[in-house]
Amino acid sequence: MTKHLIGLGVLLAVGVAYPAIFPNNLTIAISVLLFAGWATSWDLLGGWNGQVSLGHASFVGLGAYFVAIGQSQFGLAPWWTMAMAAAVAAVLAYFWGWLTFSLRGPYFSLSTIAVAEILRLVAINEEWLTGGATGVFIATLPEPFGVDLFSRTAQFYMALAFATVVIATVIVISRARFGYQLRAVREDEDSAMAAGIDPTATKLKAFMLSAALTSIGGGIYGIVLAFIEPHVIFALLLSVQIALTAIIGGRGTIWGPAVGALVLIGAGEMFRTTFAEANMLIYGILILVVVLFVPRGIVGELARRHIRRLYAKRAQG
Amino acid sequence: MAGLDIFLQNIANGVLMGGVYALIGIGLTLVFGVMRTINFAHGDFVVLGMYSAVLFNALLGWDPYLSLVLAMPIGFFAGVIVERFILSRVIDAPPESALLATLGISLIIGNAILLTFGGEPRSVQVSYASSTFSIAGVNLSMVLLLAGIATVIMIAALYALLNRTEVGRAIRGTAENRLGAELVGIDTRRIHSIVFGLGVMLAVMAGVTLIPLLFATPTNTGAVFTLKAFVVTVLGGLGNVGAAIAGGILLGVVEVLGASYFMSEYREAYGLIAFLLILLFRPEGLFGRTVKRV
Repeated sequence: MTKHLIGLGVLLAVGVAYPAIFPNNLTIAISVLLFAGWATSWDLLGGWNGQVSLGHASFVGLGAYFVAIGQSQFGLAPWWTMAMAAAVAAVLAYFWGWLTFSLRGPYFSLSTIAVAEILRLVAINEEWLTGGATGVFIATLPEPFGVDLFSRTAQFYMALAFATVVIATVIVISRARFGYQLRAVREDEDSAMAAGIDPTATKLKAFMLSAALTSIGGGIYGIVLAFIEPHVIFALLLSVQIALTAIIGGRGTIWGPAVGALVLIGAGEMFRTTFAEANMLIYGILILVVVLFVPRGIVGELARRHIRRLYAKRAQG
Repeated sequence: MAGLDIFLQNIANGVLMGGVYALIGIGLTLVFGVMRTINFAHGDFVVLGMYSAVLFNALLGWDPYLSLVLAMPIGFFAGVIVERFILSRVIDAPPESALLATLGISLIIGNAILLTFGGEPRSVQVSYASSTFSIAGVNLSMVLLLAGIATVIMIAALYALLNRTEVGRAIRGTAENRLGAELVGIDTRRIHSIVFGLGVMLAVMAGVTLIPLLFATPTNTGAVFTLKAFVVTVLGGLGNVGAAIAGGILLGVVEVLGASYFMSEYREAYGLIAFLLILLFRPEGLFGRTVKRV
């Protein structure tokens, strides 16, 4: 626990200093932080609880649309709309989970794709609310304490705060009773039930928390984009990207999803000129490598090796 | 035109479109029935078929149906190779491993096509693209009709393969009980390769028959087809070939009727809603009989 809190402190220290050191590379840092936050939120459900969702773009989209529509049509400040989006995401996740958690295995993953696709179609077709396929534009934003929210530096700090809060949440949960319940349900639902844990309730709580956190990141993403199109924000590829970031980094580990975001966004940036739009190719290749050779993901594998080394040392005595 | 005529026209279009959906769905359901793997790359193999027709047309000037002669065997062997080198390694791992592996394959295929052909939509122009065939006042599009005929031939061939040949018997045996099949001397690893090859071949064939009708784009079209294939197979029941045919036709009719009588902009959503409803209310039916019939 202390180790992880120190890690969080290092992240914050590096983050606070970052804009001063690399003022020209803020956009990519914002993507890394947002993906780290989303993947860590996804991991609460997908890694710690073992329910692979391929529909998390719905919550990103929900957050972004709440911020954009709230600002452009009702003049609501982003912090209010983000709170509303988180509440709505949790309610949506409650009903969604209530309907689909009776399904085990691949059926849950399939149903998440279907629900996300339906939300995308609604966003495209209900023009009176969402601006249809053309999208919504954020023209003005309030200036809390004189901070210009359109500036990349302010957006960077928002993304940093988001990632930090999500990772801190997971650190706390990993040592809490709830965290052990999550893992018990992941390993074996029947045994968990025998130990007095309600698997459906546990999954519902994880899903609601994961959804609410993801939608807050979505709200920040909306501000960063300032122009929200349903094709981008509700895309199946975004859902896949979030899930794969967590899995490649290491499912069910505290730092895995964040490391995954750093590696994948970094690699995407490096190969941007080579692959142009085809940069999801890297995700495809890496997920195959992970599935075939390192099923625990990057951080999971490192942790396993570390533990084996400790045991070896103790055995030599 | 009278209301009834329009209705019949819609039904005819829905059934023909549904035939192609069925062809896509059968490949997915066959693979699931035997290997217990949900193949997320299935739609991308359909797109691969579309691009193979585009390629043969551009290089040799072939009609899409002529290119089937080469595209189908190539598809089969591509499937066998993918199974041998990737999926056979994760067949005994937890079920999400195979799912994630196919997701990776899907991303690789889609983006490889994007790198090769570029992002703009591609299609093949055929002389009969807009010709129609009239029967009892109902106009049938020639392209859809040909696709329907190809579907019927393929399904008949598949039926014969599964029920009249020794390999088919081995496939059915493996689907029913893999260990039991091993015990009576069936090489189930070989059967897995064959089945995955067949699945890819069916997907490629569906893609080729669709190319005169639809534009192919590298990454989006694949996801759309994968989703349609899921809907078809779940409507019918995963792992059940006969039910996939019914599911395909049902999806085709539901989409066409929904689009022409309710809100056409939600055309894609009708199938998805039906899919969710089936998942919610008949999940035990989906699980229950999947092993029995292939």
